[in-house]
Amino acid sequence: MAKKLLVAGMAAVMAMSVAACGSDKNDENNAPKDSSTTPTTGSASTTETKDAPKDKVTFSMFLGVSGEKDVNTNETTIGKVLEDQTGVNFKLEHLVGDLNTKIGTMIAGDKYPDVIVPDAAIEEVMKAKAFIPLDDLIEQYGPNIKRVYGPYFERMKADYGGHIYFLPYSAQVGEVTPDPNINQGAFWVQRRVLKEAGYPVIKTMDQYTKLIEDFVAKHPDEGLTGTLTLTNDWRFFATSNVPMHLDGFPNDGNVEVNLDTLDAKTYAGSDSEKRWLQTLNTLNGKGLFDKSSFVDNYDQYIAKLSSKKVVGFFDYGWQVGTAANALKDAARKDPTQDDYVYYPLAVTWDGTKDQYLDPAGWTSNRGIGITKSAKDPARIIQYWDNMLKEENQVLISWGIKGETYEVNDQGRFYRTQEQIDKIDQAFKEKYGFATYDWDFPQYNSTSTFADGNARSVGFQPEVFEMSLTEGDKAILGKYGIKTYADIFDKPEDRPWFPAWSIPKEQGSAQQLWETKKDDLAKKYYAKLVLAKPDDFEGIWATYKKEFDKLDTAGYESWYKEQLQKLVAIAKAK
Amino acid sequence: MDNNATLTTSPSTLEKKPTGLKLFFTRLLQQRMLVLMSIPFVIWLVIFKYVPIWGWTIAFQDYQPGLKFSEQQWVGFKHFKILFTDETFSDQFLRAVRNTLAMSGINLILGFVSAITLALLLNEVRKVAFKRVVQTVSYLPHFISWVVAAGIIQTTLAPDGVINELLKWIGVIDKGQEYLFLGKAEWFWGIFGASSVWKDIGWNTIVYLAAISSIDPAQYEAAEMDGAGRLRRMWYITLPGIKPVVIVLLIMNIGYLMESGFEPQYLLGNGMNVDYSENIDIFVLKYGLQQFNFPLATAAGMFKTVVSFILLFSANHIAKRMGQERLF
Amino acid sequence: MANLASVSKTRKFSSRNSSLGDKIFDIIIYVVLTLLMVVTLYPFINTLAVSLNAAADSMKGGIHLLPRQFSLENYKFVFNENTVYNATLISVLRSVIGTIVTVFASAMVAYTISRPEYVLRKFVTIAFIITMYINGGLIPNFLLIRDLGLLDTFAVYILPGIIGVFNLIIIRSFIEQLPDSILESARIDGAGDFRTFVNIVLPLCLPVLATVALFSTVSQWNSWFDVFLYNSSNEHLSTLQYELQKILQNSNTTSSAESGFANSGAGDSMKVSPLSIRATMTIVASVPMIIIYPFLQKYFVKGMTVGGVKG
Repeated sequence: MAKKLLVAGMAAVMAMSVAACGSDKNDENNAPKDSSTTPTTGSASTTETKDAPKDKVTFSMFLGVSGEKDVNTNETTIGKVLEDQTGVNFKLEHLVGDLNTKIGTMIAGDKYPDVIVPDAAIEEVMKAKAFIPLDDLIEQYGPNIKRVYGPYFERMKADYGGHIYFLPYSAQVGEVTPDPNINQGAFWVQRRVLKEAGYPVIKTMDQYTKLIEDFVAKHPDEGLTGTLTLTNDWRFFATSNVPMHLDGFPNDGNVEVNLDTLDAKTYAGSDSEKRWLQTLNTLNGKGLFDKSSFVDNYDQYIAKLSSKKVVGFFDYGWQVGTAANALKDAARKDPTQDDYVYYPLAVTWDGTKDQYLDPAGWTSNRGIGITKSAKDPARIIQYWDNMLKEENQVLISWGIKGETYEVNDQGRFYRTQEQIDKIDQAFKEKYGFATYDWDFPQYNSTSTFADGNARSVGFQPEVFEMSLTEGDKAILGKYGIKTYADIFDKPEDRPWFPAWSIPKEQGSAQQLWETKKDDLAKKYYAKLVLAKPDDFEGIWATYKKEFDKLDTAGYESWYKEQLQKLVAIAKAK
Repeated sequence: MDNNATLTTSPSTLEKKPTGLKLFFTRLLQQRMLVLMSIPFVIWLVIFKYVPIWGWTIAFQDYQPGLKFSEQQWVGFKHFKILFTDETFSDQFLRAVRNTLAMSGINLILGFVSAITLALLLNEVRKVAFKRVVQTVSYLPHFISWVVAAGIIQTTLAPDGVINELLKWIGVIDKGQEYLFLGKAEWFWGIFGASSVWKDIGWNTIVYLAAISSIDPAQYEAAEMDGAGRLRRMWYITLPGIKPVVIVLLIMNIGYLMESGFEPQYLLGNGMNVDYSENIDIFVLKYGLQQFNFPLATAAGMFKTVVSFILLFSANHIAKRMGQERLF
Repeated sequence: MANLASVSKTRKFSSRNSSLGDKIFDIIIYVVLTLLMVVTLYPFINTLAVSLNAAADSMKGGIHLLPRQFSLENYKFVFNENTVYNATLISVLRSVIGTIVTVFASAMVAYTISRPEYVLRKFVTIAFIITMYINGGLIPNFLLIRDLGLLDTFAVYILPGIIGVFNLIIIRSFIEQLPDSILESARIDGAGDFRTFVNIVLPLCLPVLATVALFSTVSQWNSWFDVFLYNSSNEHLSTLQYELQKILQNSNTTSSAESGFANSGAGDSMKVSPLSIRATMTIVASVPMIIIYPFLQKYFVKGMTVGGVKG
């Protein structure tokens, strides 16, 4: 009996493994997933016939970011159009799990997909020499790449040893069309607080804390939380970046850069940091700070922000999107709920100049490249070049005229309410907006087309205005501005921005400094903020002592050197 | 003298050896069926588990993935020195070792006691339906991933969570005095231990239930005849009945003391409890894997293995000395 | 503890006819076990409630036993993914085949190392045990799998896990517990080792084999790391857990993609969120494992092993 079972079991195993192997082979024939077969034929045809419709090719593409669905680009509407133009299709695979592990195995195995978007693991990919230099290919096949990326070529070459190995995503084309919404850092406050206070102008931290204090004092029975901060895991920077912004600097990571001298000063351990923590400590002493800030996870944080009980907080707009949207949705349905929507404020220590808005920057350590496993890089470069044609950038961002956008008499692009309603996430995935909204070579989101239309739909003033509710218009009117961004100061020119994107070698002294600094800050921030006000100085001294053990001077001088290099390149241009 | 001694002894060993070997091979031939049933799997074992151990060489290199073995740069004990003597690291690493041992120790004791107790209690339940329901329900939390479980734990332990509400209700604390449980560093080990028991008690019990099922019912009948109560039967029949499994599991798990898990500490850990929550695996993630520093991770792994072996062989030896079941 | 001690005393005094002591003992057991059930059932009920609640509402927290805004949107989001169905099939296949293989192989080796006369017994035992505590690391393992040609194959789910050492040792302990007389009688009948193993040992070991089968099934069912490492670019070999991971990450972008301008439509801008999808995938993935457990419990009935021999 048992023997029969065993035999049957074994037979099943055998059958299965045979079947699995068989089906495996079939897959390869049906939908070539690696470059071994089809691209070769593709390259043969390229050389023969330049203008005739090209053979269809499928390239594999790995994206070191998770999120969108794994599709073939030609299954989307936009991707189909691009395939018709070039004959090229990409089979996408998004990361599931740990990026370093995945990239590590690729490198160790020395076999890569044709195209990789390595995201944060780009230094590894570069170190392993997995990307091929693109200079010659661009020269030969890339007139549009040259047009869009040309101004950055020197910088790109300087960053990675004299060659261009990948294309980043932040090439500005045309005038800057600023983001009318605040997706970057700001001090947020409930609109009812401003309403009750008679829409005062809030510029300094003292004004901001007083605003919150007064409001909570006037509403003692509502169980309000004055403020809280986000500290969970890697999102800790939402708490530790604040001194930089209060000092009037944009988000350069760990340093504040002096525009004239290019001195890069870390603000960890600085007086500004001390003052920020002391402010929180004082708020905590008055019962205006949520102690759970230091133990809550991200879900709990978002839950609190959507509870309508938190009066104000600092964070980056993109990080609180889910909570903010829920509050906006509620306000859209019921205008009385508009009181609970958060309004962004540009707060600094002295109220003179803020730099919350990102300057037109260049994120040099993210991008898309072709690996040495790719059989026919020319086809890939041609596809990218074709994508960068202005009409295809319109296609990728706005879609097809009459379907997903309209043009008025003045040649301005806009979307009808019907189109706006139609374009939900499922539609974006099917149409390809989701696939192409990042990851591929493209104009920076603040770019402007030659005809004056914004590259990004949401940045087009006509679209932004349509999205405003009565409540939005009311509060913007009270402050006499058109967009939320208007109360923030114009960003100054910082050719290196953002400094955090300057490549650092993995395991380098700079990286180690950052990890160590984070460890220290995570440990001491909680102690400092939750301490009895009298104990604050003592704990600060201990923190400072620990912090001074790190080689901060070395970190700063490394940064200064890098900045000088980048500014020299920018000037030479 | 010494020479003499070797001279005199060696012939005798030479004489004996062939017979020993011969005997060995004769017996091996006799046992060819057992050999056939086990050696193919030993070969499998060598390929899948022993061959990759070459990877330990990584710990002695400034390893770069993608380079050939011969191209790697050898650095001796550099990465071990970083762990144990580098002033910026060693404190943190040794604290991580302490936390690892403490948490897995707590886990070991609580895990065993709770699972065995539950098995004994279930064994005393006479209504089969109730027993099965308890079994199945207590097994449920095992299928809740740590991410979800940690979310539930965090909500439960929050200042406005169930535990604080309960404490207020029975009057232990007043309003405004709520505990920030996960902010109390020294409480972390306890919270971790309790969470682990909660999550895996039902799962860990399964193996003991299987062991109990092999106890001869005649023993219970005989004991009942002698007038032994249920507690006595539990103590004198059930427990000894599962003792061999308990001891073998205990020895194996003592060998695992260097593994205290990763997810619960990572998810429940924060700046306030880091001195008690950061274990070796988290340290390795932060300073090894996240920095693409495979050598450091490998060195830490080797250190864990060495300690595991010491613990394992000691535990096995002690079991042997005490005349108990052994692992090997 | 004091309670328990007094219970035993009571029992001694009243000897056989005491139903009082028994009753108190029963009550204590029932109370303890019921409390345990409350504590262990809660997370599951809570997760179920979150999975059946509208995502935008779940975000506000405070859901305990029942959904507040009932919605099947989360389940739709998961089951709308066509890849889920093929992945489930692969998961079932690897669970079934992997379990059959590992239970049989582990039991067979366990039998050999339970034979006191086996000359290689100690060698084999130690060779296996050592591997529980050593690991060459991620990259060597990956290179091995590649060199064996197992990348992009179904076999990679089965071959590396043919024998679980933990299972091996548990089964061995169990076999060693079997009364010697049974194996002896088989020997006298002239049965060879393989026949003894198949005809006598396997049937007697059903409780432990059921245990090991459960462990193996659960681990096969839940594993996704091997898919991630070895088969991630071949969607035909993807497993349910891996697809669920993808869906989870997809929900992350879906929920945050709308930030800024695009939410000017009516309705909620957030249909799903990682929080609610995580709950949903927990339910989807664990229900099959919860269903199989009661079926295996019948093998844990007291005395079935020895009784089986006698009967």
